[in-house]
Amino acid sequence: MFLIILIAFLYGCATVISKMINYRAAQELGTWNGSLVNYVVASILALILLIFSPYLRTDLQACTRVPVWLYAGGTFGVIAFVLSIITLRRMKVFQSTILLLAGQLLAGILFDVIIFQNVTWIRFAGILLVSAGIFWDKKVTAA
Amino acid sequence: MYSFLVLLAGILQSAMMSFNGLLAESVSLWGVSLVVHASGGILLILYILLAVRKKVTLRGMPWYLYSAGFFGVLLVSVSSWCVGILGAAVTTCLSVAGQLCMSAVIDHYGMFHVPKVPFSPKRIPCFLMILAGILLLNLS
Repeated sequence: MFLIILIAFLYGCATVISKMINYRAAQELGTWNGSLVNYVVASILALILLIFSPYLRTDLQACTRVPVWLYAGGTFGVIAFVLSIITLRRMKVFQSTILLLAGQLLAGILFDVIIFQNVTWIRFAGILLVSAGIFWDKKVTAA
Repeated sequence: MYSFLVLLAGILQSAMMSFNGLLAESVSLWGVSLVVHASGGILLILYILLAVRKKVTLRGMPWYLYSAGFFGVLLVSVSSWCVGILGAAVTTCLSVAGQLCMSAVIDHYGMFHVPKVPFSPKRIPCFLMILAGILLLNLS
């Protein structure tokens, strides 16, 4: 449990570095083309990794058995990205960050309850405590 | 109205993480990354051409900035893996906590040529609260 918690935490750390690089790319090529780099390079890399990973054979059969709606993740991601960019012109970064987080956490809890069914009271309390700390910190740093 | 749109963006991000977590079981972690980036890339190209009406170009920036894609692959795969085990809410919590710490370190030392912003002691109680929450998550 501790190891996977550490990995999720480090994932967040790496996200920041990735955001810095994407931000620089957006400065060079503009917001839209700058983010497109991420998608195009990542697609090519993922394809190479997929071809050279031993999982490929079993995959091809499993891919067709998966419900189609599960493939919608990428579409959701792009819609979320476009929405966050075009709304940013009309509100403060702080406001936008808080709303994004609130949406993510609320929906996250909901999905966990419905799909994964892995929410216990201790876990729920932990989620609430971390969220409260995050929102509090956002308030402190925005002031 | 705009607030609602941003909230919706957050909900969609969370849905993406949950879907990816489930999809990873069948198409492997690299497969998820491929699906997400290929479908996202195609849609983004369409959006740039049809809505923004700009030329699509990927050339003309320093080579090291293309590492964005390297991070993209890893981040989607790792988050899908974490969501499969921890669920979407816990993964989001931990990831944001990591983001706060990393941003604080980058700001404090002025890394990546960002302006130096010293760590404010006012933030310590917030970080302690987050730490307490993470310890609770570890117990569950």
